[in-house]
Amino acid sequence: MPREAEPSLSERTFVTQALEEGLRVDGRKFDQFRSLELTFGDEYGVAEVKFGKTRVLAKVSAEVTVPYTDRPFDGVFTITSELSPMIAPSYEVNRPSMEEVLLSRLLEKTIRRSGALDTESLCLIAGQKCWSIRVDLHVLTHDGNLTDCACLAVVAALRHFRKPDSSIEGETLTIYTSAEREPVPLSWLHSPFCVTFSFFGEEGEQILVDTTWLEEQLRVSTCTYSINKHGELCQIAKFGGAALDAPLFIQCATGALNRSKELTDLVERKLADDAKRRDKGGFMAELTAENDR
Amino acid sequence: MASEAVFVLPGDQIDPSLIPSHPKKALRLGPGLRHVPPNDILPTLAGQLITDRQKNAIRVENAGGRYQPRAGELVIGTVHHSAAEVYYVNLSDYTTPALLPQLSFEGATKKTRPVLAAGALVYARVALANKHMDAELECVSSSTGKSEGLGPLTGGMLFSISLGMARRLMMPKSVLEGKIAVLEELASAGLQFETAAGRNGKFWVDSESVKTVIAVGRAVQETDEKRLDVDAQKKLVRKVIKELS
Repeated sequence: MPREAEPSLSERTFVTQALEEGLRVDGRKFDQFRSLELTFGDEYGVAEVKFGKTRVLAKVSAEVTVPYTDRPFDGVFTITSELSPMIAPSYEVNRPSMEEVLLSRLLEKTIRRSGALDTESLCLIAGQKCWSIRVDLHVLTHDGNLTDCACLAVVAALRHFRKPDSSIEGETLTIYTSAEREPVPLSWLHSPFCVTFSFFGEEGEQILVDTTWLEEQLRVSTCTYSINKHGELCQIAKFGGAALDAPLFIQCATGALNRSKELTDLVERKLADDAKRRDKGGFMAELTAENDR
Repeated sequence: MASEAVFVLPGDQIDPSLIPSHPKKALRLGPGLRHVPPNDILPTLAGQLITDRQKNAIRVENAGGRYQPRAGELVIGTVHHSAAEVYYVNLSDYTTPALLPQLSFEGATKKTRPVLAAGALVYARVALANKHMDAELECVSSSTGKSEGLGPLTGGMLFSISLGMARRLMMPKSVLEGKIAVLEELASAGLQFETAAGRNGKFWVDSESVKTVIAVGRAVQETDEKRLDVDAQKKLVRKVIKELS
C-alpha cells in the first residue's frame, strides 16, 4: 500500500531553523520564484509549464455540441484536471484526492467563473449548436506550487488555442478545416493568474512564494490570490491554517499583482514568439512549391 | 577491479571477451543482466557494463531507478513507526518499510536500547535482502559488536540524490574513480561539516552553521543534476564559497 512520503524530523527542524535565519533550502530568497519555463506545442492549444521540477501540461480541444437548455446562448467550457499515479503512487485513478478537488475548484473559480473566456461567443445557433471548449490538465511532476503552475498552463493554452472557423448561411452551419480557412482564436477577455503565498513560523510571520514540495508539507498556512494585471481580484482562497494579520494579507495581494503583471508579460511575449515561429511569410509563401532542395 | 567500461542497451549482444571466465568460480550476474538459456546473457537495463574478473562477476550500472535493498549496503532510512521488537524504517518513498530490530544497536540490551521517535533518521546496513521479504537492517556489526559509524543521525539535513551519485560518493576512492571532488574541495576551502551517504539516494549533511549545510547539500545536488566533471565541480565550489563569504 503506497503511503504519502513524509519529511523526517531532521528535515522539519532544519527547514524551520533555516527559515528563522532567513534561508531557504534551495538557496532562494523568500520572495524569489523558481525559474519558469513556458513552451507551446506544435499543435494549437498545447502549453507546458515548468516551475523548477513541477511540470504541468495543458491541452485545449473544441467540438460542436448542444448547449445546456437553461443557457441557450452560452457555449460549454470545462476544465478537467487529473492527478495521476505518474506524480506519485499515492495518487489513485478515479479517486480524486483532496488536493485534486481543491485544484480543480480553484481553477474553475479563477478562470471559468471570472469570465476570462467569453462563453457567449461560443454559441453557433442559439439553443441548438455551440462550441464546447475543454481543457485537459495533466500534472507530470509535482514539486510544490501546483496551483500557480496549473493556472498559468491553462491560461497560456487557452490563449494559444485556435478553434476552426465557421459560418452560417440561412439554416446551414459550416465548419471549415484549417486548410480551408485559418482557425480563429477564442474571444478572451482577461488573464487571471494564481499566486500562492505560504506562511511559516508560529504566527505565520515568514512569507514564502513558489514553495517546493518539502516546504509545502511544513507550512502552517497558505493563501492563493487569483488576480489579473489590472488588479482585479477573481478570488482569494485560504483553506484553514493559522490566522493572518490584515496588513500581511494586503501586502501579499500587492505581491500577487506584481507577479500577475510579470506573468501576463511573459505569456504575451511567448505567444508573440510562437506566432513568429509559425509565420511562414504570408499566404503566398505557404502556397509556393519551392523548397530547400 | 577490472575497468573496461562499455555502454549497453537492453537486448544488446554482449561481446564474449567482456564476459569473465574464471577457471573455478561460477559466473555471477549482477543487476541489469539476464541469463537466457542455454548460454546467452542479455542486458535488461541501459547503462555501463562493468566486468569484475577477480570476482568473476558482471553487472550493468545506471544512475536512475528506484532503490532496491541489497545485503551489505549502507542506507539512510527514516523511522516510520515502532513495533514491539522492531522499528519500521522507510528507505525510499512509497515502498514497503525495512525492519530494524531494536536490539541491533551498539551495546543495546532489552533495558538500554535507543528510543527513536517516528521521523528519526538512522544510518544502517542492509543485513538481509530477499526477493519476497521485507529487508532487514542493522546498526551494529554482527561480528565485532561495534557500531562502526552506524546508528541514529541527529540534526542536520537530508538531501535526495540519484542512485548513481550515491554510488559514486560511496566509492572507496570517490575522487579518483567516482570523479567526485566537490566534498574535498569544500572541506579544503575551510568549511566544517559532517556527511553520510546512503545507497538509497540520500545524502545527510550536518554542520554548526545552517548556511554551510545548505551550501554543501546544494553543491552535491547540483553536481548530480548537471553531471559536472571535476573541473566544473571546482568552479562550482569557488562560486559557493564566494556566495558564503
